[in-house]
Amino acid sequence: MSGITNWFEYVGDRWSDVWGASWDHLMLVIQVMIVATVLSVAVGVAVRNNATLRNIALGVAGILITIPSLALFTIFIPIVGLGFKPAFIALLLYAILPILRNTITGLREVDPNVLESARGMGLNGTQRLIRVQLPLAWPVILAGIRVSTLITTGFAAIATLVAGPGLGIFIKDGLRRLGLPLSMESVWTGTIFTILLALALDLVLSTIGRFTTSRGVR
Amino acid sequence: MNQSDTTEPMIRLDRVSKVYPGQSSPAVAELSLDIARGEVLVLVGPSGCGKSTTLRLINRMIEPSNGRIIFDGEDVTGVNPDLLRRRIGYVIQQIGLFPHMTIADNVATVPRLLGWKKDKIRARVDELLDMVGLEPNVYRDRYPKELSGGQAQRCGVARALGADPEVLLMDEPFGAIDPITRDRLQNEFLRLQSELKKTIVFVTHDIDEAMKMGDRIAILKESSQIAQLDKPEHILAYPVDDFVDDFIGSGSTLKGLSFERVRDLELSPYPMIRHNAGHAQARRVLDEAPQRWLLVLDDMDRPLRWVNDSHLDRTDRPLRDLGHPVRAKVEPNATLHDTLEAMLTSMAGCACVIDKRGSLQGVVEIEALTDVIRRLRANARKHYEDENGQSQPTGTPS
Amino acid sequence: MAPGLRLLRGNVGLMVAPVVIAIAGVLLAVRVGGAEKDFSEASALQWSERLWPQLRRHIELTMWSTFWVLIIAIPLGILLTRPRLKFLAGPVLTVANSGQAIPAYGLLVLLAAWLGTTFSTAVIAFTIFAILPVLRNTMVGLDQVDKSVIEAGRGMGMSRRRALVSIELPLAVPVILAGVRTALVINVGMAALAFLIGGGGLGETINSGLKLQRDLTTFTGAAMVALLALTVDWIAAVAERVLRPRGL
Repeated sequence: MSGITNWFEYVGDRWSDVWGASWDHLMLVIQVMIVATVLSVAVGVAVRNNATLRNIALGVAGILITIPSLALFTIFIPIVGLGFKPAFIALLLYAILPILRNTITGLREVDPNVLESARGMGLNGTQRLIRVQLPLAWPVILAGIRVSTLITTGFAAIATLVAGPGLGIFIKDGLRRLGLPLSMESVWTGTIFTILLALALDLVLSTIGRFTTSRGVR
Repeated sequence: MNQSDTTEPMIRLDRVSKVYPGQSSPAVAELSLDIARGEVLVLVGPSGCGKSTTLRLINRMIEPSNGRIIFDGEDVTGVNPDLLRRRIGYVIQQIGLFPHMTIADNVATVPRLLGWKKDKIRARVDELLDMVGLEPNVYRDRYPKELSGGQAQRCGVARALGADPEVLLMDEPFGAIDPITRDRLQNEFLRLQSELKKTIVFVTHDIDEAMKMGDRIAILKESSQIAQLDKPEHILAYPVDDFVDDFIGSGSTLKGLSFERVRDLELSPYPMIRHNAGHAQARRVLDEAPQRWLLVLDDMDRPLRWVNDSHLDRTDRPLRDLGHPVRAKVEPNATLHDTLEAMLTSMAGCACVIDKRGSLQGVVEIEALTDVIRRLRANARKHYEDENGQSQPTGTPS
Repeated sequence: MAPGLRLLRGNVGLMVAPVVIAIAGVLLAVRVGGAEKDFSEASALQWSERLWPQLRRHIELTMWSTFWVLIIAIPLGILLTRPRLKFLAGPVLTVANSGQAIPAYGLLVLLAAWLGTTFSTAVIAFTIFAILPVLRNTMVGLDQVDKSVIEAGRGMGMSRRRALVSIELPLAVPVILAGVRTALVINVGMAALAFLIGGGGLGETINSGLKLQRDLTTFTGAAMVALLALTVDWIAAVAERVLRPRGL
């Protein structure tokens, strides 16, 4: 019991640090996710009707997610230096595949009969995409965004190794002082707040999903 | 071949019930049913009547809640179901071929479970593939995805026959197959069965398929209650109640005619004459007979022309050039259904029965058919009245 | 043509990948070998003393954690799809899914504090992390086996166990293998973090580059890890093709 009490005390004493790190972590994740979503959906829409382009896009995204996170974080350092930039680039490249894959799957799973009838009513390609395909594919795309957000939030803790922002700083600090007083509290803080952040973001996304998904396909 | 008493049923269901928890009415309620050795018994009924459940109770894919299942004289209600199933062939609508195994491996499934020797299995697989019309050298090493629907179903039947079981259970085996292929498979199956003489329980919702395949048919109502259990021709001639009547649908009299054959008819005399006879003789024969048409035969007694009064008046050309050609010809083993169809296209409203060489055996008139229908009905009624006198049979006429 | 090569025909990616990886490896070796290095770089990038042992250790970490993932996740997945335990499947998957929210970094350090900074601690942490894909794919793979195929097998007198071994598992193999491939890739990536708790691996090189601010060292470590991951992924992809039952 005392462990838990100690931890609350620890967090209470350093609330402004914890809050600041959480905020940095959140901002990093949100920026990554916005760019990743726009990029992935745009690419998914662009390649949806061409098998070769589709395979190339998925293949590249697949290779990116295969490369270990630490490698991805560090491989750009010679070009962009330390700090926010390498963390942002690495997380962005990581976040693409789940969204891209789900965008392509979602768009292709739309019932061809529905598209056929839309065409029969005179909707052109863009109108079909915006009025029919994207709304029907949206739940699948959103599922990809949620998976991606979960992964990104967790991996963002490693950003601290390349001097990036976020909650990883508490884990790094605890690890450095492992065995000394308050080292465990520090690691727990980094871990638990990362989890809380991930779950909170997931909740927000699922709420967004509830309000933006047509009741007919929910 | 079989040492046990042949009058003893192959399968006996003794007051078998199946109740699913949470359902108000039982899926099968107190069903008693004997299935004789070597017969094809068809279970037919509307969807949800419990016919599939009943079938699956026999090989204990579904465990009965109550009652006993006697298989070949042995109470199998409590035996190891896996061992029981190895003695019973099982064919389902979806076929369920193992997609990761070759055709040969699929067919060898039960022999392998029974631990047969390798050469014996290989020989058996080839024999079975040959039997169902799949050339072993072509199909042995193929995979199920390389087969058409009809071929897959043949393979399913071969697999079910793997270890030469005495009993086959078939759950809508031809249900998912296109009508033309289905018809061919049904015919092949009947031919196979005439050689193999297996005991077969066959489930379908298609009354026509039931009539075609079944030695006996059990028409089931909800909870697998037997509405009527009899030979197809009896059911058609004498549906015991409105349920059966509705289920067999309209045209049951016509359907019944496909179970009767021309050779069993008693043919009444018909006016006929050789082609080289004179008009005067022809007129005399026609005047003496009650019929309006005269049949002209050639030297070999083969029917040539239909001739009537007006033809004879008009000209003096030879008889073989008069009237209308004879088209409605049937052989003695034709069904009455086919005969009726021939008669309807005939000018004289009659069908000529001919032997293999084409010589006339007799003429079928419409009265002969109505007689048959009347007799069939009377026989079926008598059959039910007799049965009523002795015991309470399944499917009492209402 | 060897049977292995025949299986690869029709998949350009699988044929090209090893060539690309090999070329990248050669380019890296040439670049590193020809670069001007100061003392710390030269010692960090020494092949037989540093890079090769780290690479070997990296592979050992990957293999051991994947081994334990298979030992745990496949039987667990089978159990959770059996009728008796099926009711647990939903909750277990929910827990496993939200487990994705746990940062690997934090879990690794917490386990190290609890179990000590050893090779085994690293293997345990990576095992936990890579269980989900194999568990989920085992369950999905078994669930998607056509029920009529199982029914046919049981109807012919196969026991439950027999049906599992000779029908359900072979038919689930492609899906399970896809999960194993994901687990392998995750483990290669995780093994790069083993240096944090003294577990070794190529992370050491990346770390020393970061600490001493020698970009060439960092880049070499990262590139080797990336190439190793791509190689492992390629091997797994080939294995997926070879081990997939014919006829599917």
